[in-house]
Formats: sequence, structure tokens, C-alpha cells
Amino acid sequence: MMLDATPLLDVAGLTKRFGGLVAVREIGFAVRGGEILGLIGPNGSGKSTVMKLVMGIERPDAGSVKLAGTEIAGWPTHRIAREGVGIVFQHSRPLHRQTVLENIKLALLPDSLFRLAAEPHVEERAREIADRVGLGAVLHRRPPTLPFADLRRLEMAKALARNPKVVLVDEPFAGLTSAEVADFSQLIDGFRQAGHAVLLVDHNVKSVAALVDRVLAMYLGQRIAEGTADEVMRDETVRRVYLGGRIETHPRKELDAKGGEALLEVRGVDVFYGKARALQEVSLHVNAGEFVSVVGLNGAGKTTLFNAISGLVPFGGDIHWAGGSLRHRTPAWIARNGIVQCPETRELFGDLSVRENLDLGGQHLSRPDREAQLAWLLELFPILNERQRQPAATLSGGEQQMLAIARALMMRPKLLILDEPTLGLAPVILEQLSKALGRLRETTPITVLLGEQNVTFALPHADRVYVLEHARIVWQGDPVRFAAEMGTGYL
Amino acid sequence: MRGLQILIDGFAISSLYGLGAVGFTLMFGVCGVLNLAHGGIMLIAALLGWWIAADYGAGPYGGAAVGIAAGLTASYITYFIVVRPIQRSRSIPREEEEIFLLTGTLLWGVMIQVGMDYLFSNNPVTMQPMVSGIIDIFGVRTPRNEILIAATCWAAIGLLWMLVNKTQMGKQLLAASINPRGLTLLGFELSRIYLIVWTIYGLLTGLAGVLLASFFGISSDNAGNLTASAFTIVILGGLGSVPGSLLAAYVVGYAETLTAYLVNPTLRPIPALLILVLVLYIRPRGFLGRR
Amino acid sequence: MSLLRHRAPWIVLLLIAGASAPGWMGAYFLGVFTTAYYFGVFAMSWDLLFGFAGEVNFGPTFLIGVGAYTAGLMNNAGIGIPLCLLGGSATAVVGGLLLALPALRLRGPYFGLVTLVAVLLLLDFIVIFAGVTGGEIGMMVPDVLSVSATINYWYAFGFLVISAFILYGLSVSSVGLILQATGQDRIEAAALGFNVTKHKLAAFCISALFSGLAGGLLTFYGGLASVDTVVSLSITVQIVIAVVFGGRRTILGAILGSIFLILAGELLRPLGQLNTFVVSAVALAVIIFFPDGALGWLLRPRDQA
Repeated sequence: MMLDATPLLDVAGLTKRFGGLVAVREIGFAVRGGEILGLIGPNGSGKSTVMKLVMGIERPDAGSVKLAGTEIAGWPTHRIAREGVGIVFQHSRPLHRQTVLENIKLALLPDSLFRLAAEPHVEERAREIADRVGLGAVLHRRPPTLPFADLRRLEMAKALARNPKVVLVDEPFAGLTSAEVADFSQLIDGFRQAGHAVLLVDHNVKSVAALVDRVLAMYLGQRIAEGTADEVMRDETVRRVYLGGRIETHPRKELDAKGGEALLEVRGVDVFYGKARALQEVSLHVNAGEFVSVVGLNGAGKTTLFNAISGLVPFGGDIHWAGGSLRHRTPAWIARNGIVQCPETRELFGDLSVRENLDLGGQHLSRPDREAQLAWLLELFPILNERQRQPAATLSGGEQQMLAIARALMMRPKLLILDEPTLGLAPVILEQLSKALGRLRETTPITVLLGEQNVTFALPHADRVYVLEHARIVWQGDPVRFAAEMGTGYL
Repeated sequence: MRGLQILIDGFAISSLYGLGAVGFTLMFGVCGVLNLAHGGIMLIAALLGWWIAADYGAGPYGGAAVGIAAGLTASYITYFIVVRPIQRSRSIPREEEEIFLLTGTLLWGVMIQVGMDYLFSNNPVTMQPMVSGIIDIFGVRTPRNEILIAATCWAAIGLLWMLVNKTQMGKQLLAASINPRGLTLLGFELSRIYLIVWTIYGLLTGLAGVLLASFFGISSDNAGNLTASAFTIVILGGLGSVPGSLLAAYVVGYAETLTAYLVNPTLRPIPALLILVLVLYIRPRGFLGRR
Repeated sequence: MSLLRHRAPWIVLLLIAGASAPGWMGAYFLGVFTTAYYFGVFAMSWDLLFGFAGEVNFGPTFLIGVGAYTAGLMNNAGIGIPLCLLGGSATAVVGGLLLALPALRLRGPYFGLVTLVAVLLLLDFIVIFAGVTGGEIGMMVPDVLSVSATINYWYAFGFLVISAFILYGLSVSSVGLILQATGQDRIEAAALGFNVTKHKLAAFCISALFSGLAGGLLTFYGGLASVDTVVSLSITVQIVIAVVFGGRRTILGAILGSIFLILAGELLRPLGQLNTFVVSAVALAVIIFFPDGALGWLLRPRDQA
């Protein structure tokens, strides 16, 4: 295909700060008509922010965004949309009270206060588009009654209707079956065929490799690699960021003989978010004293699994803990009775001091117990001792993570659940965290369930590993076997 | 002389405003509820307290105690009958919960006002002063009662401060206002926290109502204005900020007192509204608001 | 309820019943319905803003009051009724714009609270300048629409039908669709190329126009513009009740809600002040147990599984 010389979307020096955090730093790229660029990165890499900056949902602090030569940075969203940028959001946003047909018609309407009736061709065109994406049969149904894939089709339909020069697509394949993925790939390819430019944002190179022409990889707001999908997947920096480097394992000898009794049993658990299936028939177990890692990329379902165990989302199937079912327990009850989760978002009390955060964790203990636990934790995490009086929000990312873990440990949990503790942390901090976990594992009988994308972090301390992919458990076994079988092909 | 009188009267009025506003802002900060029946709860406390004090000869202290208890009861009724059903309703979409809470509490406030009007008529009543007599402060003759009221307001506010900053439960309330999910993950039932907040709210608001009846007098016609003035102060100070509400209470209290003494008593409510308009234009999150 | 599948016959029936009312209704009830019809327009205007643009306006009486008092003042200055109505509604629109421009920048509860502040300011204004506005007692106007109950009824009925036609028509038009999008999901609406602020402002102005006009007409019906008839908080409460009761986002439900409210108020008159109590209690029960209101519940889409 002949590509135009001038890029349709030309981004240079794009920067965005949120308070002290630099979410996007000097990002630049160009997408030509008839080309698909993949923007890849883990959670927190800034890729979604880049998309929002191009669409005008956030204003850039610096940099330029040119659409077919016109500077659009700083324009309001609706003006950018009218100029020729379309967006397919990660989470479907239909109008719930309107029919599918009305939703598509909306995308075809001009921004006028006075046109009371749509022009006659609008209805026809809307039907055409609906047929093209496969919604012809459900034109008069409303979104709450539609299956997940149809809602995604509706989002594509709206983008098609706007016929934009540049299309931004966020995580196009999340939650779709392979047949649906094929359909969607075709639709996205359709944009390319029509000479438009497509920016595809995703956290997983593998899933979009077949579709994209080029890939730009991001981490912590910066560009770390660019090239074809193959080149980026083999890039050293990218592999380190995703996998964390070489895989090491340190199996514990004393556990082989024991076996332990199953403390936590998850049996055939299903979770739906509206229509999207987040977990499918997931079963796993954790024995007393074990350190179990659940490995999987963003969106695989780790957080959902942990939220189901912690009672934060409703689920089908059963979860057993210490002999009883967790089915009808409140999240607070579950936390008080031994399962403490340290979520991905940490949920710290930012305005309260480090010490106050820790104290809250220990409020269920008697005073002497609390003091003893506090002393032990301040020794385990010396940096927290130094920063006791500081408000939690002023701590660095790594320090906040340590505070979150320490606070969870204040509760003297029988099972500690850690969700992506390494997210967005620099390698030096990962070392410290890894050491602390190691000490925890050696000196206490604590049971740990760790969810991680970073395999290098997840493996060294684990006794057993589960791999979660697209809402299902696809592999389980011990770390040594994992390193042998899964290591290279993982990314 | 005038200046000192304004200083003293303004202080007493501001303290009372502060007490009335603090409960309102706490309710929003921790539970996320803007209770438009706020004035109604003050009214119930005031009228029932007055009634017991006068008709049953319980005297002002007995009346005050009953009034506060009545305020607490009214607060619980508001929570269990209006607010909680709306929060737990599955037919109300999350985005519209706020609107329904505002409408529901507004309706409940109207019911209280009309009900009280029916039971007690809308004639203003004043509670017997708790201490009688006049004291002379540098030439300004001030009723002892006024001083007692200001002192009581500050005692209550002081107790609240100690509760929030020095007790375990207080830390839980603070944490709940910052991050309710975080608190759940640490094993605290939010339902219990909310109950505690409604209890504190009922006590503070009941007390404010009783003191108001003792200072100014009250009638069922005032219910709406009381709610309006409480949330004006709370918006000015910053939704959810207790120190902000206290600061705003003094700004409003003194602005009103100055207007009443120096300009024209009928123009009394104007400055607060004008300041509010200014603040909403320039700094919508208020003096000390967070978001 | 398959009876409701075809709405046209119901509407025709109601129109006939309404137009012929002077033939079979007594003068007393004609008067009640006249007031109810003006109230219906207040409520429909509010529903346009609330149900469609997604903005809670706690001060609709600001717009109504501005329209009513301006018309009244102009009439007292010797200007004829038609020009007064024009003046009243124009002022209401200007007032609405002045209110909405800054208020729409605010999120969450702040917008509603700003609108409430506007009413309080208006109330204080009326009381302070009592010499001109008649203060709490109100301002009499020299002209009235008519002295005949029947003619007054037809003015109100005609106004209601025309307003309903326009407002309902807007709600089901393309403009209405865009408005609903801005109300439900402003980012998505912007991403589809719609200027959200522009549309919400327009909705506000339309709401102001009809509210101000209805306020003026109500004044020339009763011969009086006063706090109790057009500005007080209890009117806001009644409007909200009428809309939620009838079914928010239906426009026409607001009419049902208003008629129910005014009728109930009349029929419960023997209870004295307690009629407000009963009506509020019923409304509270409705919003807790039937949040979609009467018409909302009757017209719920069949395909909701």
C-alpha cells in the first residue's frame, strides 16, 4: 500500500504532569494514513494518558499534536473530534436508555442546536453501519440487554460513523473470544484499508502483533523501544520491564515434605462485570505456610480473583477458607478473619501520617501486641521508621508500597494477598521489596498469595505458580518447571 | 463600645453557626450525604426541648437534655428511613443516588417542618435561659446565657476535636472520610462507622437546636433557613472540612452582625449570600476544601 | 400492559377530556386544573433540564419568579399583558443565562446549590425592596387574563398543550438525543463531537423561557405575584415531587404528577396544613420504592430482560 508522505497524526515532545507525577514524558511518534501503530506498555506506563492527550480529554503541559498538519493540542475534545479524531474507549460507553440504532444515529448527527430532525440519509447510513459491524439483528434493543461483544461492536460502529482521519483504539480485544477478535481485527483493518491512521493502545504486544505495522513501547511515561512487533518483543529493555530480567528460583526445602492442609480453596469461580467475563471456572488452593504466585498480564484476571476472595465482588462457584465458605461474608469480616489484601491501588490514607496508617492496621490487636508488631515492621522496613510522621501521600511509590504491605501485616494476617506490588517501581526498590518478602517467608509462618505480571519478582520466593490468562488458569506447577517450560515464550 | 458589642455578639452567633455547620460537614465528609433535613432536626430538638422545659416544668436543663435526645432520635430516623433505603436501593442508578438523597432529605425536611407547625404552630418560642442575669464586660451588658451558649458550643467542638484526633474511633472516622475502601480492607465495617457518624451528628445538631432556641428563639418557619445557612457556611468553608466550616462560620457570623448593627438589620442575610456567590465563582472548593 | 402500546388514542382521549372540561366540570375544579396546568409547564421545563441535560436545578423558582415579577412590574407601569409576558420570559432567559454560565462549570452538588442560592438571593431582594415588589404580601397586577373561569381554563389548557408539544417534541428530536447524551456521559458526547456546554446552556434557556412565561401567565391569572405563588421553596419541592412522581425523563409524566399533586392538595384540604405532610410522605415513599415514577413504570421498555 502506498503511504502518504505527511503523517496524519504527528506527536512531538508530549508531556503531562499530574501534581508531582510525570505521567508522560517527551513522547513523540508519527502515524501515516493506511498505517497502524501499536502503543504498548504495562499499567502505569502512560499509554492511556497519551491517548487522552491526543483526544483532548486531558491538556498537555508541553508538546505538539498535529492532525494532518493542523495543531490540535489544547483544543477541547469536541473540536478535536469534529476535526477528525475518533476514539474507541476501553470500556464501552453506550447511552443506556437509547436503542442501538439511536446510538449509532447520534454519531452521525452534526453539532447543531437547531436541526430538530436528522437528515433522511442518516437513518439509512446508520443501518448500513450496523450491518457492517454485525449489529443488524439488534437495532431496536437497548444496551443493558446486549452481550459484551455487541457492546464493543457498538463502539466500533460509532467510530465508523464518525469516519475520522485518525482512530484511537484502547485495548480492543479485552474480553473477546478468538472468533470475536478476528471480527474486530477485520474492522480495524478496514480503517487502514480506507487510508486512515490507527493508534492501537494495549498492554500486550502479543495480542496486537498480527495487526500492527509498528510498535512503540512505553514505561513510566517514557519511550523505551520502537520498531516492528518482533523487534520490540525481543528488545532487552522491554523484556526486562515486562519480565523483570533473568528468572531465578529459590525453592524451599522444608516444604516439600510437609504438604500442609489447604487453607484457602477456590473452586470453579466465575465473575462477571456486567457482561464481561472476568473469571472463568478458576480453581486454585493455597496450603498453610505456602507462598503461591499467580502470574499473568494486566487484564488476565488477577485483581478480580483477589477481589472475589476478599469479598469485594460477587462470584459464582465457591471459596473456602479455614473450613467455612466465604460466600456471604462482608469484606471487613474477611479481613478481620485472616485474609488481608494489599491491593494494586494500595488504598493508603494519604492525608494521614505513616504512623497513623500503621496504627489503623493494628486497631484490632491489644495494645502490647500492636506495639510489638509495629516495632517488628519498622525493623523490617527501616525507611518507614524514618518517615513515621510524614503524610503517606508524600512518600515515593516504593515507600508507599512498603507502607501498604506493612499496614496489611499489622493485622497479623494468616493469608496475605499482594496484588502487583511491583507496579511502577524502579528496580532498586524491587530489590528491597524482594528482600523483605524473603525475610518474611523465612522468619514467619505467614501464607502469601502474590499476583504479578513481573515474573522475575514472582518466582524466587514462590513454592507454586499458577498462570492466569484471559480469565482462566492455563498452567500450574512449581517454579523450576515454570522457568523451563514458560520462560521464553511468555511474552 | 459598639465595636465591643459587635465583637461579643458576633462571637456568640458565630459559635452557634459553627456548631450547626460542623455536624453537617462531618456528615458529608464521612458519609457523603448532604442532609437537607438538617434544619428540621434542629427544629425538633429545639421545640421538644422547649415544650418539656415549659409545659412539664423540667426547667431549661431538663429541656435541653430531652431536646438533644430528640435530635438524636430524629437523626436516626433520617438515616434508617430516608438515607439508608436510598443508598441500598437497587433501582436507583449510582450516578443518581446523590440527587435522590437530596430530594429525599428535602422532602423529609418539609415533613418535619409541617409536622412541627401542626403540633406547635409557627409562633416563635424561646427556651428559658439556662443561667439568668447580665454580666458587664467592659461596659457592654451581655446576658450570661449568651456567654454560656458560646462556651457550650466551643466545649462541644472541642470534644469533637479530641474525639477525631485523639481516639482510635476518631482516626477511623478520618480514614473513612479519606478512603472508605481502604478502611474496609483493614477489617472495619463501614455500616458501623456510618452509625457512629449519625450518632455524633444527631447529638451536635440537637445541641445546636436547643442552644439556638435559648439564644434567638425558633419557629417552624425557620427550618428551611437553618438548612440553607448551614450549607452556605459549609460550602464557604469547603465541603467536608471541619476547620473550614468553623472559619466560615465566623466569617458569616461577623459579616451578619456587622451588617445588622452598622447597616440595617433587615439586610442581615445578604452578606453571607454575596460571599457565597464570590467564592463559588472564584474558588468553588471553599476556603479549606480539599477537592 | 398492552393498553399502552398505542399512545395516540390515550392522548386524543385526554385532549378531548381536557378541552371539553368547562362543559362538565364545575368552576371550582376548573380553577384547580388551571393552576395545575401552569404547574405542569413548570414541571416539564424542570424535567427537560433534569431528565435530559442531567442537571439538578434546585432553584426553578428563580426563573419562574423573575418572569412573574418582571411581567408584574411592567404591567404596573402601564404596559399591556402580551408585552409584559414577552418581557417576563425574556428576562427569565437572561437570568437563566447569567446563572448557568458560571454554574455549568461546577460539578456535583455545587451546581444544584448555586441554583438554590439564586433563589435565596431573589427572595431577599424581594423582601428588601418591598416598596417596589410588595415584599412578603406580594404585588397586585392591574390586568388579568380574564374574569371567566372557563376562559382562564382554556388559556391554561392551550398553553399547556402547546408547551407540551414543543417540549416533548424537543425531547424526541435529534436535539433531544444530543441533550440526553450530554446529560448521561459528557466525555462520550464530547468524543462524538458535541459541545456539551453549548447544549446544556440551550436547555437552560429553553427551561427558563417556559418557566418565565408560565410564571407570568400564572400572575395574570391570579392577579398577584408573590413569594408564595412563584418563588418559595415549597414550590420547588412540589415541582420536584411532580416530576419524580410522574416519571422523570418523560416530559409528559410531569403533567400527570402536577395534576395529581394539585388535586391531592385540594382534596386533602380538610386536613389543613397536614396535606403538605401527607403529599410529601407519599412522594418520599414513591422515590424510595418506585424511583421511576408512575409514567416511567408504566412505560418501561418491554425488552428489559
